[in-house]
Amino acid sequence: MNLTPLLEAGWMNAILPELVLSLGGIVLILFDAFAPKLRGATAPLAVMVFVAAGWSEMFIVGGDFFGHTYQISAITVIFDCTFLLAALLATLFAKAYLAREGFERGEFYALLMWGTTGMMMMAKGLDLLIVILGLELLSICIFILVGFHRRIAVSNEASLKYFLMGAFATGFVLYGTALFYGAVGSTNLAAFSHYFAKADPANPLLTIAFILLMSGLGFKLAVAPFHGWAPDVYQGAPSPIAGWLSVAPKAATLIALVRIFASMTPVIQQASWMKMVAALSILSMIIGNAVAIAQRDLKRMLAYSGIAHVGYMLIALLSLRDESVAAISVYVITYALMNIGAFGVISMLAKNQNDPQTLDDIAGLGFRRPFYGLALTICMFSLSGLPPTAGFIAKFYIFKTAVDSGHMTIAFIGILTSIVSVYYYLRVVYFLYMKEPETADLHAADAHSLTSPLIDADMFGTGALLISLIGIFTIGLFPTPLLDAAGAAAHALLP
Amino acid sequence: MTNLLSITLWLPIASAVLLLVFPKTAANAIKAFGLLASIATFIASLGILGQFKEGVAGLQLVESLAWIPQWGIRYSLGVDGISLWLILLTTLLTPVVFLSSWNTIHKHPKEYVIAFLIMEAAMIGVFVATDLVLFYVFFELTLLPMYLVIGVWGGANRIYAAIKFFLFTIAGSLLMLFGIIYLGFAHYHDTGTITFAITQLYGTALAPHAQTLLFFAFALAFAIKVPLFPLHTWLPDAHVEAPTGGSIILAGVMLKMGTYGFLRFVLPFFPDATAKYAGLLIALAVIGVIYGALVAWVQPDMKKLVAYSSVSHLGFCVLGIFALNQTSIEGSILQMVNHGLSTGALFLCVGVIYERRHTRLLADYGGLAKTMPVFATFFMISMLSSVGLPGLNGFIGEFLILAGSFQTWPRWTVVAATGVILAAIYLLWLIQRVFFGPITKEENRNVREIAWNEIAALVPLVILMVWIGVRPNTFLRKMTPSVQQLLQIVNKTDASKAMIARNTLPRHSSSVVLDAGGVR
Repeated sequence: MNLTPLLEAGWMNAILPELVLSLGGIVLILFDAFAPKLRGATAPLAVMVFVAAGWSEMFIVGGDFFGHTYQISAITVIFDCTFLLAALLATLFAKAYLAREGFERGEFYALLMWGTTGMMMMAKGLDLLIVILGLELLSICIFILVGFHRRIAVSNEASLKYFLMGAFATGFVLYGTALFYGAVGSTNLAAFSHYFAKADPANPLLTIAFILLMSGLGFKLAVAPFHGWAPDVYQGAPSPIAGWLSVAPKAATLIALVRIFASMTPVIQQASWMKMVAALSILSMIIGNAVAIAQRDLKRMLAYSGIAHVGYMLIALLSLRDESVAAISVYVITYALMNIGAFGVISMLAKNQNDPQTLDDIAGLGFRRPFYGLALTICMFSLSGLPPTAGFIAKFYIFKTAVDSGHMTIAFIGILTSIVSVYYYLRVVYFLYMKEPETADLHAADAHSLTSPLIDADMFGTGALLISLIGIFTIGLFPTPLLDAAGAAAHALLP
Repeated sequence: MTNLLSITLWLPIASAVLLLVFPKTAANAIKAFGLLASIATFIASLGILGQFKEGVAGLQLVESLAWIPQWGIRYSLGVDGISLWLILLTTLLTPVVFLSSWNTIHKHPKEYVIAFLIMEAAMIGVFVATDLVLFYVFFELTLLPMYLVIGVWGGANRIYAAIKFFLFTIAGSLLMLFGIIYLGFAHYHDTGTITFAITQLYGTALAPHAQTLLFFAFALAFAIKVPLFPLHTWLPDAHVEAPTGGSIILAGVMLKMGTYGFLRFVLPFFPDATAKYAGLLIALAVIGVIYGALVAWVQPDMKKLVAYSSVSHLGFCVLGIFALNQTSIEGSILQMVNHGLSTGALFLCVGVIYERRHTRLLADYGGLAKTMPVFATFFMISMLSSVGLPGLNGFIGEFLILAGSFQTWPRWTVVAATGVILAAIYLLWLIQRVFFGPITKEENRNVREIAWNEIAALVPLVILMVWIGVRPNTFLRKMTPSVQQLLQIVNKTDASKAMIARNTLPRHSSSVVLDAGGVR
């Protein structure tokens, strides 16, 4: 078969980051197989691969490739960098975690790389099939990574749950795509735009297809009412993976949704499908924030808070304008920094994976381990959207977009639920600084604090935390460059 | 120097960052450094006073840099007659806190000093920010250090108090954030330029219902902060549980962020809604005056008594603001400073005896004037200033507020005036039970007299109480043009003209009233 018409000039440059990551994963697996004694070097190698992939973003060329199924533009570069940032942070936190748990393996990082490749495909796909391919590549990597701790029941449970639910979700996405194909006659988003320009909004086939598609993707977003898996999976997954899982797949799904939604205008507004999205957003904000209050396990609390955060991001999606895409990209970058940072601290504080990370476990830590305490505090304040952190800028952008495009009610609900969220984020700070540990643990804790230095010897984790904190304050205090880049990129995507 | 405001604002933060390198164990060095930094900040703020031009109504010492140009948000600072004295109050009270807590803070002194320095910077920022979003950033930034101060160094029930304080305030301020964004876009749709500069947002055209909603979004945030009845319930808890330094700052400065917010934002942004709902706020303020006084009367706990007296006194400030005339607003601003001085001193004094006897119950004291004569004198002066004795500062503020608001709201003013009498009752009763009469408890015979650092903290406060009491015009002169300008903005609209027409009494400028009262 002659592939020349499909392979436009410069296609190698266009998918340079994907190539680097795919090959990097293979190299890591081979390295692990042929030099098992040097497993300690897999993490630095993985870091180098992620940095190289980020560097390769500078050489890519924009445009449509592979027969208008793959689009590279400024916004995909921003999302690529978000995925790479998330994976880099997860890698840095995972180094000490894996060493501690005794299974430092090359394939762990290889799976992270291939998962990242899948997300890049989702972000760039101009064809629903490409998006689904990316989604599947990502999902398979997540199934394995969540259950990576295969000797622990809770990790297996998490993996199985995610696998079963994920398989169903993919089925829904495929059904929805099939129905759309039936109506449109193509899975290409360009054909979608053409079709939806004069489609009948009352067509029930389209509505059913949309509901199926949204249900499947809603699962990946962990948006209420498709969120049931998230707390269990985050709790069971290795903490660095839970952090990565709570951010990166959501970002990839959101940017895919932006493209899909944009191709469905104006029907998506006329057929009140956006009202469904608004309902998902409101439900997520209310359920996520309300249930998070009842959680004592930090990872479960962050799972519910993550559900609420997707609710906030969906607010921006309601008005399909360049501003909303820019707001979403700023939000996901910020969310990556603060949420993976928070999971990272949890990972570094745990003695082992079975060790439940409840609020009581961090009682009084703020003064005993000042750096971790401060880092977790800053992440919590950023998550609750208080200035001068990045979380404030991100939330401000979302609410500003909503007010500007007239979505007053939902912005107001967002503000009200934010007030609720402050309570449980603040409770973490309260346990860190104001609560003394239980007397039985006190002696052990004091002994521990005497032996543990101010900043632990975990260079990788400390470096990742520093990246998070510097990022949080840089975006919080000097957001201008990021806003410029995101605004310009979004304008190119949705002029 | 043109960037004097920035220097004053950033000096405490820079000092806090420097403190990070101090070893935890060098408690005295940390405290000394904190004290020096706060004194340096006070000197810088005296520079602001020196450069401040009397007779200028608008913002002075203006600084403006682009911060987030995409959203029209600027790092812009300025000072006018309304904010000038509040900035100085902030920079004065912070060294007072460090002096008074020199010997009382043993737990985590480094974090304590850092928290207060960051809090000082944030409070200065609140008063000098002339961009709405920048203001909001500082407004929120004050919360975190105060939350930690109450929660870490506070009393037995500190956690509950700290969380209640934080949640009450954040609930109000997040709604205000919604209002800020809404207002910014209303201005954008009106004029085509996106800006959050306060002076440019004045006069933004708003539909009546939008103006009402925004009025309540802003007013709620500030009413919680003041606190206005019935939103005051966080205040007694926070005050009682906070360490002495926290109480001084909370009562001395943070409550004023609420009254300042009313003056700076609510009145000029929403003049129609202000005229329409002034009656409601005045009613709540006067209820607060009476309610706070009555509850203070029956408190067995000294600190709670002073806390409730704050509810009462801040009610006067709000009354003066919403009476909407020159005399009452000038009185209100002066009363904010007065309350900071007198209540700050009272909390300090309560802290002094609590430190010695570890009880705050009135019943545990009696006859202390015999064992602690110097301390009794300071307590007496602060109390009389709070009561409003002529010759001290409290009298001037309350008199101006009552004289001014009597012109527009005579009935409510008469009711509020009884609050002055009630204040005399509960405060004199406090003094009598603690300091006079026979010594009934053996423990009170050998109480240590007030120490050097406590005297050093109290002396500047007492000097200012007398100074304001004797020469109020030194202070009032500087605010007159700014208040005049504010009233011009507020009175431009039809609704407020109608309100003024309803109230027939002639209006005086403050200096006329002062002459008539023979205060000079």
